[in-house]
Amino acid sequence: MRNETVLILAIVVFSFVIGSKSPEFFTLANLFDILRSSFVQLLFALGVLIVIISGGIDVSFPIVGIFAGYTAVVIMQKFELNGESLLIPIILAIVIGTLLGGVNAIAIAGFGIPTLIATLGTAGIFRGLMLTLIGSSFISDIPIALDQFSTADLVKFESATGTLVRLHVLVIPITIITILISLILSRTLFGRSVYALGGGVEPTRRLGISVKGTQTKIYLLAGALSGLAGIFYVSLQRKANPYDLAGSELDIIAAVVLGGASIMGGYGTVFGTVLGVLFINLIKNNLVLLGVSSSWQRAAVGALLVIGITLQAIGESRRNKRRRALSESEVESIE
Amino acid sequence: MGFTLLVLLIFSYFSPDIFFTPENFTSMAFQVPEVAILSIAVMLSMLTGGIDLSIVATSNLAALLAAYILTKNMSEDGEITNLWILMACLAGILLGLICGGINALLIAVLNITPILATLATLTLFNGIAIGLTNGVSISGLPDQFTRIGNGTFFGVPTPFVLMVFIALLVGLIINRSSLGLKIFLIGTNRKAAQYSVMGDKRVIAWTYVISGLLSSFAGLIIASRMSAASPDFGNSYILLAIVVVVLGGVNPMGGFGTVTGVVLATIVLQMVASGFNALRFNQFFYLAAQGGVLVLVMILNVVLENRRRSKSINKSLES
Repeated sequence: MRNETVLILAIVVFSFVIGSKSPEFFTLANLFDILRSSFVQLLFALGVLIVIISGGIDVSFPIVGIFAGYTAVVIMQKFELNGESLLIPIILAIVIGTLLGGVNAIAIAGFGIPTLIATLGTAGIFRGLMLTLIGSSFISDIPIALDQFSTADLVKFESATGTLVRLHVLVIPITIITILISLILSRTLFGRSVYALGGGVEPTRRLGISVKGTQTKIYLLAGALSGLAGIFYVSLQRKANPYDLAGSELDIIAAVVLGGASIMGGYGTVFGTVLGVLFINLIKNNLVLLGVSSSWQRAAVGALLVIGITLQAIGESRRNKRRRALSESEVESIE
Repeated sequence: MGFTLLVLLIFSYFSPDIFFTPENFTSMAFQVPEVAILSIAVMLSMLTGGIDLSIVATSNLAALLAAYILTKNMSEDGEITNLWILMACLAGILLGLICGGINALLIAVLNITPILATLATLTLFNGIAIGLTNGVSISGLPDQFTRIGNGTFFGVPTPFVLMVFIALLVGLIINRSSLGLKIFLIGTNRKAAQYSVMGDKRVIAWTYVISGLLSSFAGLIIASRMSAASPDFGNSYILLAIVVVVLGGVNPMGGFGTVTGVVLATIVLQMVASGFNALRFNQFFYLAAQGGVLVLVMILNVVLENRRRSKSINKSLES
């Protein structure tokens, strides 16, 4: 069975379990709430997905995100840029995110440092520099356009029971970006090089693909996505807190891995990642409806992750065994 | 070694009245052991070419269990029998072994990449700790227990004595036992180790079990020194432990590293930390410095390795 199928089944089963316990689960309001909390995570997850497909791992992305979001707000205020423009802070954040991604690219593509160690190091550098040089105080009066954007709803009405049902306008750009990343990964030379790189570095080189060039593009793109996620996070929270997001990398890596991306590289789909993010948020948001205290959220994510990777490992070893059995029977038939 | 002296001299020069005092050295001797023990745990897994990211989560979980048993069994005025202290420590150590065992199961038996497996168990252990305590720390541990972490043994802080003992033991294991030799062989070339039928899975399982054991020691020492245990204690220690290990000359790809190097690197970084403190830099600057040191040392390693390789290629071309 494909990973995506398993995930869809898991989502359906969990939905029914939660729904049978509390009917308020099956409301449009709850669905839109899950979507709203998934937007920022999905953007981060897409960056992580590309890195993981290429055979690497990135633990610096939440720091890159909050660095970009916070710094963009600080720059807006310091230079008294037009606070009514939504585009300026978004572009600023993307540029900052790309620059920080460039630092990762230099460490990983330039010097060939193992990706986990490189990004652990750069995460420390970025966080330390942000809190010493750029600022360590919480900003609550973010530029007006960003503030208003947090309540820019595409659909907004009051349901029969009187709860406010709102779907944020971000659903459109996030969908477009998701489809775009999916197309990049499946239809472009760059996308196929990412998969090739995850399959093996040396074979990729022999194919005539520039390994360093591909890696550089991967980390620049992941940085840009993280920057964008960071500014949306700031906008949705309506405040810029430099201490936020640190530590959230675990949930997002968990979502991508549950979505079927292989940490050894070479395999992973955007659709699986979307399902993974939705699944993690479904569990985290609705644990309380199951009668479990919200302090167990992290344990739930950890347990899911352990179960997920165990199932994948068992499937992998079974496939290997079948392949070995096949090749042995081939040998016999030749003899 | 030269690096240690250099750092010592630099900070003594800039801030002699605060840095170069016996008080400062004693306080460093209290802080070094926990980081050193965690780093030795990371080193063991790195020697086989893996990594253990769950050390801090394991140590917190072990410390929380011990702290829970201690606070449950002490009388109102903080008195407790020595037997219960022993029981609490043993329970913590046992939990550390179990955590290490889970890692060993995932990595050695199910063949899951160490980064992913320990990332998952890190989330799980940390989540269990948060869930059980609701994120609140357990404090007010009995005096007899905190005396271990804050006391001295012939004038040397007890944790430091424990650290030396553990370092010697691990040093003996990796340099003098067949397990140690196998660890190095697996780290150098996993395929070759597999073909030589040395039971590579069992060796890898042992490294993660020992890593869990060492983590629980570190957790107990921290709990004893702080008189508290908390689920989110020492979150920055993962980065710190990896910085220490890499600075100590361990090859993250596996196959090379020494306990002496790791202990010296811990002392160097602790000196940098107290030096920064004496110079009144803030803690986040120290975080950036840790990251910077990690990246720089790795760059240096890669550049030196490349130069060595091209030199040996040239030599073989000439002959």
